[in-house]
Amino acid sequence: MKELLEKIFENIYSNGLSEERYCDIKEFISEKLISEYNDYVMNREIVAKNKVNTLDIVLPNAKVGDYYSQLLKIEDEEIIEYWIEGLKKTGLEVVSEIVLDFQKEDNTMVQGSANLEVFDNDNIECQKQVIGTKNKGLVIKGNPIMSGDFDLTLKYKYKGWFDGCNILERKLRFAINPDPRSLWKDIPTDKNIKFYKDDFVSEYVTVLANDKGLQKDIVAASKRGRSHAHEGKARDDDFKLYHNDENGWYIIAVADGAGSAKYSRKGSEIACETSVEYCKQALQMPTELEETILELSKAEEGYSNRSISTLIYNIIGGAAHKAHRAILDVVKANEDQVRDYATTLLLAICKKFDFGWFVASFWVGDGAMCIYDKERQYIKLLGTPDGGEYAGQTRFLTMPEIFTPESIMSRLKYSIEEDFSALILMTDGVSDPFFETDANLNKVEKWNELWENINKEVDLTDDNSESKNQLLNWLDFWSAGNHDDRTIAILY
Amino acid sequence: MRRLPVYLLIDTSGSMRGEPIESVKVGIESMISTLRQDPYALETVNISIITYDRDVKIIFPLTPLDELQLPDIVTPDSGPTHTGAALEKLCSQVEKEVKLSTPEQKGDWMPLLFIMTDGHPSDIMIYNQVIKKVKQHNFASIIACAAGMKAKVEPLKQLTNEVYSLDTMDSSSFKKFFKWVSDLIEVGNKSIGATDELLLPTPPEEMNRII
Repeated sequence: MKELLEKIFENIYSNGLSEERYCDIKEFISEKLISEYNDYVMNREIVAKNKVNTLDIVLPNAKVGDYYSQLLKIEDEEIIEYWIEGLKKTGLEVVSEIVLDFQKEDNTMVQGSANLEVFDNDNIECQKQVIGTKNKGLVIKGNPIMSGDFDLTLKYKYKGWFDGCNILERKLRFAINPDPRSLWKDIPTDKNIKFYKDDFVSEYVTVLANDKGLQKDIVAASKRGRSHAHEGKARDDDFKLYHNDENGWYIIAVADGAGSAKYSRKGSEIACETSVEYCKQALQMPTELEETILELSKAEEGYSNRSISTLIYNIIGGAAHKAHRAILDVVKANEDQVRDYATTLLLAICKKFDFGWFVASFWVGDGAMCIYDKERQYIKLLGTPDGGEYAGQTRFLTMPEIFTPESIMSRLKYSIEEDFSALILMTDGVSDPFFETDANLNKVEKWNELWENINKEVDLTDDNSESKNQLLNWLDFWSAGNHDDRTIAILY
Repeated sequence: MRRLPVYLLIDTSGSMRGEPIESVKVGIESMISTLRQDPYALETVNISIITYDRDVKIIFPLTPLDELQLPDIVTPDSGPTHTGAALEKLCSQVEKEVKLSTPEQKGDWMPLLFIMTDGHPSDIMIYNQVIKKVKQHNFASIIACAAGMKAKVEPLKQLTNEVYSLDTMDSSSFKKFFKWVSDLIEVGNKSIGATDELLLPTPPEEMNRII
């Protein structure tokens, strides 16, 4: 260097050079060169930075409790080493990628043989971090313990880097979702609210065996959905059961108050209470109905009986209409809006005769109502759920168009059944997670699944009144996105 | 699984460049964080962001909240605001993405639409035509936000009754706006059904409803 300078000076300053001038020039040149050199270093950094910043590095979101494993690999000649900082709190760790080394890289493995090689992290001294290279990426893995948005730092060294150069970095945003199950709160409903209703209820109706053998019982449970419990809101579902011990008629009603209607909890209550009460009165001494049913049982299949239709229309259709009117009366007395009380209604009456069972029903809204027989692999859906194009759209008992004669007729069903495992009524809080679509309601295997699922937790043997509590517990089943109130009534 | 589709249309014309768009980004990020703390939202909310300036860009299609990652949103130096074209794109996305109930398929909840602008549509002809189409798409609610002093509210009024003005375009205003949006999404999640219109939560002081 020194010689080079002197040669230059000799050529340019052939007349000689004062010591001061010589020093000055020397200083000038070194400053200039250093500045050039700094620019050069800076440029190298910028090139590396641009490269890394444009790389498509994506860390998919993690979820608390779910095992996470994601490879991060920078396959670029310019980036020689990289590592990740900021993972400590998350519960995740970084390990080296396990490379199946088919091609000889920096070891003496025989070419072509697949060798499992694990980077032994502990042998690297002075390095707390697991380092990634072009050939061996980093794997972020483990069970996340904490939710939130984390700012991770990807640090890296570029080609030509030596001790004293800057270590470069890029920020990486990493999200860990909470486990939705851990977020649900269970806030009891304020008992002072208008039309307070218990958050859960269950009931068992025992029908003792008689000279004709064992008699079917009814068990039912209703529980506030997680979405309501989370906000301390009341249960909107309801049910009502009745058995006439004198003449053997069963009456079951299940109703789902609309989630968006502020007093629908009262709507569903009135719907159940009123319709069951109406049927109860009508079925005190139903001589005409029972005679007609006997006649029907002897008739050939496909035979339509006008008088049974009229009787059913009057009893069950009448009960539904009475319930509709009862809601309107409460609306009026409270000076509320009808839509504030919107509710569905599933209503069934049945009785066992010598020839078998007679079942009749009325259905408005969503949910499901079905006769199921496990032995025969038989189902009979007692109507079709009312649904719209979008989720949550349905029809309600409170709507006047439900009560045109045609509409009532289309919602009424009756049938004669030999025997069955169960008559099941449920709100959409139960039917949605198990059946999801209307098409599935017609598949016996879906009903088998539901039946097996219930029987795993609920001991449905005759006169087992304890099953009401088991059924209530069963209603806690987990189904992502399905957190509506749940109500089910089973005649078995 | 029933999804709640949420569409965000964000103006990225030149005037949004710099602090405004950065503030919007911060706002959206905090909205996502907030929603992720709501168990129901975490399982049902799906978000799509569409930006519009001269070009209309789908930043990401309808994506489940838990999988969502917010990429960079860029703005050009200058140029027109093609709001009409953005709404056209929105309609075709909704047709493609939002599931309707059929016997074999569970329908989504009615979608929500948020549109934000700091100016006015440059393609006013297209804009006026597309409004009718947007209204046919059964949004549970359409919320428009006119941000800053230069935003024109009249075109937005044609689109929806829910037009709100945001006087300043700084990060605290946008943060509050998107906080309100997340409240609204949470309400939307729970109250669709019997009533036709969503009951909107009370907006923050920074926002004024335009009547």
